[in-house]
Amino acid sequence: MAPRKDTPFRSADMSMVQLYVSNEIGREVVTALGELGLCQFRDLNEDVSAFQRTFTQEIRRLDNVERQLRYFYTQMEKAGITLRKLDLDAEKLASPSTSEIDELAERSQKLEQRISALNDSYETLKKREGDLTEWRWVLREAGSFFDRAHGNVDEIRASTDNDDAPLLSDMEQHNTAPDVERSFSGMNIGFVAGVINRDRVAAFERILWRTLRGNLYMNQSEIPEPLIDPTNNEAIQKNVFVIFAHGKEILNKIRKISESMGADVYNVDENSELRRDQIHEVNNRLEDVQNVLRNTQATLEAELNQISQSLAPWTVLIAKEKAVYSTLNLFSYDSARRTLIAEAWCPTNDMPLIRSTLQDVTNRAGLSVTSIVNEIRTNKKPPTYLKTNKFTEGFQTIVNAYGTATYQEVNPALPVIVTFPFLFAVMFGDLGHAFIMLAAALAMIYWEKSLKKVSFELFAMIFYGRYIALVMAVFSVFTGLMYNDVFSKSMTLWDSAWEYERPDNWKQGDTVTAVLNSNGNRYPFGLDWAWHGTENNLLFTNSYKMKMSIILGWAHMTYSLCFAYINARHFKKPIDIWGNFIPGMIFFQSIFGYLVVCIIYKWSVDWPAVGRNPPGLLNMLIYMFLQPGKLDERLYAGQEYVQTILLLLAFAQVPILLFLKPFYLRWENSHARARGYRGIGETSRVSALDGDDESEALVGGHGNSFDEDEGVAMISQNIDEEHEEFEFSEVMIHQIIHTIEFCLNCVSHTASYLRLWALSLAHQQLSVVLWDMTIGPCLTRPGLLGVIMIVIGFYLWFFLTIAILVCMEGTSAMLHSLRLAWVESFSKFAEFAGWPFAPFAFNTLIEESEELKNYLE
Amino acid sequence: MAQGYSIFIGLVVIAALSAAAWFMSPKGENQVLWRSSLILAIVSCYLMWLITFLAQLHPLIAPKRSDLREEFLGHTI
Repeated sequence: MAPRKDTPFRSADMSMVQLYVSNEIGREVVTALGELGLCQFRDLNEDVSAFQRTFTQEIRRLDNVERQLRYFYTQMEKAGITLRKLDLDAEKLASPSTSEIDELAERSQKLEQRISALNDSYETLKKREGDLTEWRWVLREAGSFFDRAHGNVDEIRASTDNDDAPLLSDMEQHNTAPDVERSFSGMNIGFVAGVINRDRVAAFERILWRTLRGNLYMNQSEIPEPLIDPTNNEAIQKNVFVIFAHGKEILNKIRKISESMGADVYNVDENSELRRDQIHEVNNRLEDVQNVLRNTQATLEAELNQISQSLAPWTVLIAKEKAVYSTLNLFSYDSARRTLIAEAWCPTNDMPLIRSTLQDVTNRAGLSVTSIVNEIRTNKKPPTYLKTNKFTEGFQTIVNAYGTATYQEVNPALPVIVTFPFLFAVMFGDLGHAFIMLAAALAMIYWEKSLKKVSFELFAMIFYGRYIALVMAVFSVFTGLMYNDVFSKSMTLWDSAWEYERPDNWKQGDTVTAVLNSNGNRYPFGLDWAWHGTENNLLFTNSYKMKMSIILGWAHMTYSLCFAYINARHFKKPIDIWGNFIPGMIFFQSIFGYLVVCIIYKWSVDWPAVGRNPPGLLNMLIYMFLQPGKLDERLYAGQEYVQTILLLLAFAQVPILLFLKPFYLRWENSHARARGYRGIGETSRVSALDGDDESEALVGGHGNSFDEDEGVAMISQNIDEEHEEFEFSEVMIHQIIHTIEFCLNCVSHTASYLRLWALSLAHQQLSVVLWDMTIGPCLTRPGLLGVIMIVIGFYLWFFLTIAILVCMEGTSAMLHSLRLAWVESFSKFAEFAGWPFAPFAFNTLIEESEELKNYLE
Repeated sequence: MAQGYSIFIGLVVIAALSAAAWFMSPKGENQVLWRSSLILAIVSCYLMWLITFLAQLHPLIAPKRSDLREEFLGHTI
């Protein structure tokens, strides 16, 4: 077969290739193929678990590096350092060598240690700083309390001597007592000072009170500024407390309770001199700690800043490297020969490119052993690879959303490029709305580069379909001209074919019927504006649009059905032509083709001039089935015979549709068997090679050279998996379903196209209503009020036009058009039994990765 | 203004346009895309124009309105 160019008409020819690559350059080969993005590798180690594969070690190592890079990322986020993002369009990352990756791994290991060390010391320092701050507060608050309390030691002693005296009464009055320096210790009163969370103060107090039975004196004060908890960076309000009590045991008890309540107890000296020294010392230490802390933070930030410059490329490199090893894990490794063997699907036309890439890599590595690319023949179904460009991508996505076309069948996206936007435009026909849409689409295409980076999801979706929107808008301009609608108004581009004559006794408000000109001139382009705003406007446009829907639907379906013929011819299945396409086509045409002919014939006859009543076509079609051979009203001479013949012709197709294909297949099968043919592998296996093991078997079977021709000839794999025995009942049932579906669908799908009329009617009426309810009445208002009303009315009208008529109605028309493409058109020819070609490519890998999104622009 | 035979003029026009689209499509991988899309678009548009024109060729009903002003009557509008 001569090599065929890959076109958007069919999916590309695919070949299954075997690659024999020396183990040393396996990584380089896969990297090069990943850049190329044309090979989809098959898993040759399906029965090997992920942990037992050859390159698991490398992947683990890379996982570790990835984790370290993520750690840097979170640290940077915490420190508020912005990452220098990678713009893959602007800069290309060269494929790294193994040693570079090793270096990177080592470096990130070191950096991680350094950063975590810095982090640890930062946290310890932070904790120490917190402790010192608390201590300073305790010293300050407790100190001021002591200063106040020392004055009343005498009083207190007196009170202990005298049982009736209240404990610590009227302390405040004795603030300025002279003998401040007298000690509590003489009184055997000890104290505990510390800091506690403010929320717990009440509970703390109550517990102390109960356990000590009131034998304590507690003083507390609030720390005015919140303290930072270094473990989670949260601000906490705390109180300083000082508790006085008798006796060592009680004091110990208080300490234990404090600790259990999460309070921090600090050492405070009761001597004010010592305390001053203590405060001094604490302040010094605090300053030192803060200095070190600042330094540590600066170092950490500098380090992270430096990392932030190259973190994005590193992450991408590691992700690529990991993908390479994961792919290598799909290869089977022949340890005896130190070769890697891979199987991959790739486009046949790109084989030379793959070969030369492989050759390049081998040459660069300076290996004497060449890498071998072997094309192998297989009966596995190749993947569907439909090349797209900027323009077709959106349309292809619409089709792929429905299903993946069978390998090599007509690409349903090709007709969709026109039919989808055109049918949309039939429903969206309004010149004004079309221009708004056109402007939006053109703007998106003009500023393509800068808008590409917008990550807002809804916009990204619309942006993705910008070329679809463009085609839709262009067709809408055309249909808008056809419907002669601009924002629900009409244009008087040409002279109308109608004229209003003055009746004899006419007065204002009388109904006048227009008269058609007599010279046969008609409005040349689109709908005559004389219809606009008339009382029977809808009567006329409904009939026109309804018939148009039927004709367009018929054309669309006939066109789609023709692809079934092309498919059958391409796959060399003449039975599909004789058993499906031709009877189907006759059935469809003899009913709905006939209807379309009648519609056009009825239009072409000047009924008043002929002097006959025009027949209703709907009734005609119904009575064609109900009472064949009889007529209600005649359309043309010999109509009853034509209709009867067409009806018989249509019904005659049903048995052909039903039986021809299954019986032909059965005959073919038994005929072949009678001549002694068997399905390959049906009774005896031709080859001992089994499925995926065949590559190993091939390598193990030493006499086989890796000659290409031999490689092609000897491989016949996975035969039993995909071979299906001929089963008549299955084929018959399938065909019955197909027949019923086809015949019923001819009716229901034709009716389904009436949505074209319904949506176009709704769109037009909605824009009329919007005009009448917003700007319409404002235009008749004179004076200042009129001016204000016009401004308000215009804005209201304009924004509602965009929101409702362009966005909402546009979406609805698009969905209806989508359905017409998916159901009404695709069901006529496309099988959708393919599986998509997903080559190993770094581009798609990076684009689709959620994780890498943070690193890329 | 157009007479009934305009539909054949239109047919000739779109045949010419289709031929132009066929022969002038840029060569290469996407030639089939150009040809198919352009011709399909041309034919679709002609079909719609044809339907619109034919629907008005021998209309069975005439526009009717009762909100006309006096000056409007008796002139070709």
